Amino acid sequence: MINLRDKGADLWEGWNRPKRITFVFALLVVISLLPFAGNFSFSSFLNTPSASYQDVLVYPIGMFILMALGLNIVVGKSGLLDLGYVAFFAIGAYTDAILTTKTHLNTWQVMPIGIALAMLSGVLLGLPTLRLRGDYLAIVTLGFGEIVRIVILNSSITGGTNGVASIPNPPSVLGQKLDLNHSVNFFWIVLVMILLVIWMIRRFTVRRPGRAWEAIRQDEDVAILMGVPILRYKIWSFSIGAAIGGAAGVIFAAKVLVIAPDMFTFNVSVLILSCVVFGGMGNIWGVVFGATMLAYVPQRIRFITNARELVFGLVLIIVMNLRPDGILPRKKREKLSARKEKSA
Amino acid sequence: MQFGGVRALDEVNLHVNKGEICALIGPNGAGKTTIFNVITGVYQLTSGSISFQGSDLKGLKRNIITKRGIARTFQNVRLFGDMTALENVITASDVHKKSGLLGALFGTPRSRREERESKARAHELLEFLGIDHRADQLGKNLPYGDQRRLEIARALGTEPKLLLLDEPAAGFNPAEKKALAETILKIRDRGYTVLLIEHDMSLIMGISDRVIVLDFGQKIADDLPRNVQNDPKVIAAYLGVPADAS
Repeated sequence: MINLRDKGADLWEGWNRPKRITFVFALLVVISLLPFAGNFSFSSFLNTPSASYQDVLVYPIGMFILMALGLNIVVGKSGLLDLGYVAFFAIGAYTDAILTTKTHLNTWQVMPIGIALAMLSGVLLGLPTLRLRGDYLAIVTLGFGEIVRIVILNSSITGGTNGVASIPNPPSVLGQKLDLNHSVNFFWIVLVMILLVIWMIRRFTVRRPGRAWEAIRQDEDVAILMGVPILRYKIWSFSIGAAIGGAAGVIFAAKVLVIAPDMFTFNVSVLILSCVVFGGMGNIWGVVFGATMLAYVPQRIRFITNARELVFGLVLIIVMNLRPDGILPRKKREKLSARKEKSA
Repeated sequence: MQFGGVRALDEVNLHVNKGEICALIGPNGAGKTTIFNVITGVYQLTSGSISFQGSDLKGLKRNIITKRGIARTFQNVRLFGDMTALENVITASDVHKKSGLLGALFGTPRSRREERESKARAHELLEFLGIDHRADQLGKNLPYGDQRRLEIARALGTEPKLLLLDEPAAGFNPAEKKALAETILKIRDRGYTVLLIEHDMSLIMGISDRVIVLDFGQKIADDLPRNVQNDPKVIAAYLGVPADAS
């Protein structure tokens, strides 16, 4: 099997600074032009049948990438299996839905509130449960995801089964309208959010928090004996993951305009977890790739309607058999730091 | 210290003096590692007390105990296998850092300085243990001997005042044991206090200032190495006592 990760890393390491900047810039240009790919014959194969291609880029693809990056901090970096991640997405979405319909706040003003509420619920969930490990934590988080959904389903402020409708669009950004006819602008907003999250994760990874998470993932008993305040860092991991999920939820609600409890089922948690595992736990690029594939492929193969999920499942099984660590597995820290030493 | 009905440590009263190398010996199951686990907070004392530099350690969290200045190695090597040797040491040295998440996120001057300093110090510690050439190799890929050395380096990374070594010479050949003995002496000379568990008598007799002997959870001797060697109770514990003698 070709080692994609090392091939990529070798290429990247071989480049000098201007070359890297050019590459990143070019890549960004290509990605930000993706919404228009459907218009040209040479790239029209990207088009999705039955769903609008530009919408697909925002949801599910953009949202999945965002959520998978958030969940990757929890599952991939810190080794905490969270099966209720959708709860934070739901909290973000409902915060936006309720506050923008019932108050005069707009989406951008609600954003920090949504993030804060998701984080807070992450801390509240984490404080009592993060002393648990592995399977036990997984069960508790699964329960949390369900509790949040059922509370939403049964309370009046959330509209019960009907959900919340006619959520206002976000106000324009830099004169660009964000509404049903301007999905491209949503895509760019989500792209900026994704880039911010990637920047944040990279910052954490190379410094103290990254090491603490890594130590917790590998051997939490030794980690605490080496002075790592494991509960604090687990809660940080959980709440940062939650914040990203919440941010995704806010944008999601502002994009789809109608939300209902059945959008936030356990399936979503599992799907996002699959993105992380499929792409490569702990590797940002793997996770981005995994989320893109898992969000895009089912939309692309819509034409085989009945067998769609079957084919999708088969693809997953085959890939995971061939590459059990995901498409782009965790970075080999050995090589990475060895190179850094050399160049320093 | 009691596990259900099992009394693992029974009225063991021991103290370690600042700046000494104190050895803890005894037959298997005597409770040596249990003492380490009690000191480092892995087990909570069921009765009795434990203090370090005049303050009570009882009930403190394990990471706080480490922060107060007690670090340990493990009988069976427990490194962070997927981290490089250097990262292993830096992770331990993080215990005294002031900058946390926000510092890391925004790259504050303090965070940058702390990262730089801990890296330099980690290299220095690896150098001290003679494994700096392994700095960029993963913990799990290191040869066994270097893994044990890295464990010591990692423990020193937390800048302890008291270093607990749990069978540091296990699996070492005579030459490696000799080098280890010198290392432990050098560690002491740097001002650390060392409490070590070891089975290798020549190593212990060669470097310890004091030897404490445990048997069945009780202290049976606490003396200079040469006196312990001739103590009939110690000999009995190790070799057994003829039936008619007891």
